[in-house]
Amino acid sequence: MALRAALLGVAEGVILLDPDLRLILCNAAARRRLGWVGGSPRRGLALTTMLEHAGALDTAERMTIREHCAALLAEGAMPAIGRDSAAAEKELAFGDFAMRLRWLDGQGVMLSIPMGGDGGEVALRDPLTGLGNRRAFQAALAAALARPETEAALLLLDLDRFKHVNDSLGHPVGDALLRLVAQRLRASLRGGDTLVRLGGDEFAILLPRAEGAEPLAERLVDLLSRPYLVEGHLANIGVSIGIARAPADAAEGGMLLRRADLALYAAKAAGRRQFCLFRPEMDARAQARQALETDLRRAVALGQFHLHYQPLLEVASNEVIGFEALLRWEHPARGMVPPAEFIPLAEEVGLIVPIGEWVLRQACRTAASWPETVLVAVNVSPVQFADGARLLRAVDEALASAGLSGTRLEIEITESVLLRDAAETLATLHDLRGRGVRIAMDDFGTGYSSLSQLRSFPFDKIKIDRSFVSEIEGESGGKAVVRAIAALGASLGMTVTVEGVETEAQAAFVATSGGHQMQGYLISRPVPSDAVAALLAGRPASARAGLARTASSDGA
Amino acid sequence: MTKQELHRVVYCSRVRLSGPPAGIARELRDILATSRRNNMRADLSGALLFANNCFAQVLEGPRVAVERCFERIQNDPRHSDVTVLAFSPASAREFPKWSMGFAGEPGAAHDPLAFVVFEGAFARDRPESGSAVLGLLHGLVRREEAWALA
Ligand SMILES: Cc1cc2nc3c(=O)[nH]c(=O)nc-3n(C[C@H](O)[C@H](O)[C@H](O)COP(=O)(O)O)c2cc1C
Repeated sequence: MALRAALLGVAEGVILLDPDLRLILCNAAARRRLGWVGGSPRRGLALTTMLEHAGALDTAERMTIREHCAALLAEGAMPAIGRDSAAAEKELAFGDFAMRLRWLDGQGVMLSIPMGGDGGEVALRDPLTGLGNRRAFQAALAAALARPETEAALLLLDLDRFKHVNDSLGHPVGDALLRLVAQRLRASLRGGDTLVRLGGDEFAILLPRAEGAEPLAERLVDLLSRPYLVEGHLANIGVSIGIARAPADAAEGGMLLRRADLALYAAKAAGRRQFCLFRPEMDARAQARQALETDLRRAVALGQFHLHYQPLLEVASNEVIGFEALLRWEHPARGMVPPAEFIPLAEEVGLIVPIGEWVLRQACRTAASWPETVLVAVNVSPVQFADGARLLRAVDEALASAGLSGTRLEIEITESVLLRDAAETLATLHDLRGRGVRIAMDDFGTGYSSLSQLRSFPFDKIKIDRSFVSEIEGESGGKAVVRAIAALGASLGMTVTVEGVETEAQAAFVATSGGHQMQGYLISRPVPSDAVAALLAGRPASARAGLARTASSDGA
Repeated sequence: MTKQELHRVVYCSRVRLSGPPAGIARELRDILATSRRNNMRADLSGALLFANNCFAQVLEGPRVAVERCFERIQNDPRHSDVTVLAFSPASAREFPKWSMGFAGEPGAAHDPLAFVVFEGAFARDRPESGSAVLGLLHGLVRREEAWALA
């Protein structure tokens, strides 16, 4: 039993299992490392059960360990001659710690966890802020909820605008800012509270009581939103917080985390810089979103997407010189799903990338059947610009497979595209330009930094947002805005398109104010591809009169 | 400390002190006493204005000292809604003699000039209003040199 005593005392985490994968011993270092809750696990405990109580492990890690132990065992049972000796040992790497599995000839399996320089504590700590990390959090959560009749509150924090600060002031400033945030958080907590950095700009706080969470959250929203002076810069960020309570909202860790996350999502959706408590209807909303996402994933494959085309009328010639391709989703049960409902979700879950590629292919193929002078405009999401190389490939393939010249394609982006990683985005835009593709700035005037964006890239076109056009006939300055933007565009050598033209009076104003192109229900609503030819051949004047009447019944 | 490191921050905030004037005066004295003690040690100088339920403060000194002190002040629950009006390197100190000059008197009548500056500062975060506050504090601190704090 000297061996047993020795193993129990070593700094390295050690777990011994018998040939049935039942516990022989598990030393303190291993218990600490795995986030084991409570006293020593009893002898004979099944490995599976033991792993389930190791709060610092996630499901995938538990499964990996289990599977490799089983494999070693199977290997060990083979006759010694046929055995591959290398297979008797296995090293598993889990990101922040490693585990060695060794088959002890006929005796069972030994799992050992080598310690880092400071006795393994480092694996539980976030090196940047010195706070606990995700793993430490899992262990703390498991420990807190394992107590009978436990009460706890979980606060999930997500910094607002941190990414912006990080991008504009650089990573070293971003890191220093995170340290200040950690310091402010630490200063606001009490003894039994657990504070961790989950990663990036996400933090979590676990309170060993359910009450008191709201006043704390309120204070943190105020405190973290106060300005920071960091490395010679002024930084303004905020925080959104989601709260879930045990046992009222959930009794189990995973569920508590999910519910706090739903509350966090609600806080962000409500405009950030605030906290939200979990409410049961958030589950329902999340399920509805989930269902929409499921349908959305199938929509491309099931051919539920269609493109409609809305003509762009050139003012000088009174001719249709191109069409904007607009995405329509017709779901058998939901009916027409408005883009405002599914595009943001598609962007959030990344589905916009394949959908956007489908749109590019489809639009180019359709445009190839039009007269050579008619161009097609396609909207590209900011998310697609996150992978510029993939976007360029998609454009190349769409053009090549349709046999369409790049000069007939126009890509419309919103200014939020330029708010992301600006240097890379600009490079992508220039590469698109190099293929002859024209770049248009959509919804111009709705963002807060429109003018500075115009200087950052030589856009071919700006599209004045429809909200200004609808104000042309009122007193609220819509006219002045349209005139000013048209003059600005002209002076920068950009084509100016006015969107949302619905009345003759608006059209007349656009014509005299210097706008080059118009788009709107007065000219035509978006039409299916087979109606494009008629629009191109048709007499614009009569088409206008006919369609203007139906416009009002159809919304915007 | 080298000249290049000298930084100055100017900010406004809303006072979160309530209660009888005597209590507020005590808190203010406490803030000032602490400030003077800490700032002297950290080679910081500046001025603090209290009027119309607002604070305005100028803090100047080595950058790291300014940032550290500012961070401590942010954690102070006795004020809120902090708006930084200016933060930049400075060529010389504006308040070389003051570890923390003070202007304003609890319960004193509203200073119309201060009111105008505060309104401007809170309406929009304009860098110009930083120098306005600086100028204001400069004038006021000199005027009140005689005002004694226990
Ligand atoms: C408006 C305002 C201005 C302050 N200015 C300073 C200051 O210039 N220097 C300082 O050390 N503390 C200042 N404080 C006090 C700090 O917030 C904090 O209470 C103090 O630095 C703690 O110091 P101690 O740890 O020495 O007690 C100020 C507080 C307020 C509300």
